Amino acid sequence: MGEQWRLFRHEGVSVPTAEGLALDDTLPWAVVNQSSPPILHLYNFVPSAIVGKYQDIEAALRLDRCRARGIEYNRRSTGGGTVIMGPTVVALGLGINVDYPGLKKGIGGVFESLASVLISSMETLGVNAGFRPKNDIEVGGRKLAGLSAASEEGRALLFHTSLLVDFDVDLMTDIMNAPVIKLQDKGYNCFSQRMTTINELAGRAVPMSEVMDAIQASFENEFKISFRPDRPNEKELEALEGFIKNRYTKTEWIFSNRHPRTRMGVGQLKTPGGLLEVYLSLSGSSIENLMITGDFFSTTEYINLLENTLKWTSAHKESIIANLEAVWKEGAIHGVSMDALVDAILKAKEGQVRL
Amino acid sequence: MLMADIKGYNMPDELYYHKENSWARVEGTKVTVGMTDLFQKEAGDIVFVDLPDEGDDVSQGEVCGKIQSRKWIGKLVSPVSGEIVETNEDLDDDTGLINQDPYGKGWILKIEASDLESELANLMQGQALVAFVEAEIKRSEEEKAKAK
Repeated sequence: MGEQWRLFRHEGVSVPTAEGLALDDTLPWAVVNQSSPPILHLYNFVPSAIVGKYQDIEAALRLDRCRARGIEYNRRSTGGGTVIMGPTVVALGLGINVDYPGLKKGIGGVFESLASVLISSMETLGVNAGFRPKNDIEVGGRKLAGLSAASEEGRALLFHTSLLVDFDVDLMTDIMNAPVIKLQDKGYNCFSQRMTTINELAGRAVPMSEVMDAIQASFENEFKISFRPDRPNEKELEALEGFIKNRYTKTEWIFSNRHPRTRMGVGQLKTPGGLLEVYLSLSGSSIENLMITGDFFSTTEYINLLENTLKWTSAHKESIIANLEAVWKEGAIHGVSMDALVDAILKAKEGQVRL
Repeated sequence: MLMADIKGYNMPDELYYHKENSWARVEGTKVTVGMTDLFQKEAGDIVFVDLPDEGDDVSQGEVCGKIQSRKWIGKLVSPVSGEIVETNEDLDDDTGLINQDPYGKGWILKIEASDLESELANLMQGQALVAFVEAEIKRSEEEKAKAK
């Protein structure tokens, strides 16, 4: 075995958002300031909703519903969209140097390297998952985990992911302010067609500890390392306290206004294949989220592929066309042309309202 | 603008480059700053730029902003020291300008430089830049080959 990495593992206890996120921020801090080897943090949060660093939390969440249900909310320091966390979602934080041997280079490379670790850990659990460029782990077109990251001090990187062991779709539809909420009773189907869980795929209730064991073993195999169970040292605890105090319990951080404007729109179009509906969330000039639905015939996998191709890309017409052309299969949506889909997206964009 | 193609990346000759992928265009003591073609191609669609405030002081090599592409938050590293005198407000409406025109409409900020003469020597141009870009590409290809 090569180098020994450090492992911070919390089991049997749900971690408040401020503590969990602050410890995650301490990981790259320790890599830079304490010359620490990479540190893996495995845990689960209390029931909570966590937005991406540059998301508008008030647009992303129904905060009144969060408060009424006792759901914590906070903002992480990595990118991406809202995640719903809780006792059946494994949270993973990794602090590592971007030049670490075996870690592929560049933004795409790092995501690919870490996705492959998670995919092999899923194999151990009998789940045959794949990487959906550029940020998701999926099974049959349904999302099992999303990856996000941030370049921190020096050459250090913070990597985040959450793996769904089980998931409360009703909670998600109640507290998220996503365009799908507009679908009302269709909400459940829309989410369940786009997401899946380890329990569903494995056909049994998989204990959280088994998932954490599988992730650990997979890191050991992929990077030829071993883990040393550890806890933050005195200096790291000081850094952690600083992150709790200055970020994760601070209104200015949680309700930060450093984000693009969030808007939503719905586009409907009658096509030879049936009614086509597009629900669009825009973040500045980019597509943060979209849902393609209606009464046309296609496969869930293909629709999810189209949606994911466009997420976190430019909302300009030329960009939408270029991105769709790369994955478009004529006839894959019966009676709906690519031009019709582009028109529906642009209609949703035209009809956008500020949240 | 003189176009310089290094292994498929446009790296204009007259600019100065920091190893963290920011560029500097020098006009007197005023320096325009942006991110390179190498960066934007690697990052993909830029979805948000978190800019410093006008009037802020920055040092060479300091992180003065953040750039989000998809779900990755990267760093904007200042190539020179000085005071931020202008930020590109057009990026508020369209961060895609960094992808479409990284050395033109996609500029990010302007700095009134305080120590240009000595600091330019720390930035790359010419053969040093070619060697840097080639090394970056080689490193990336080696990791890909190892992973196969």
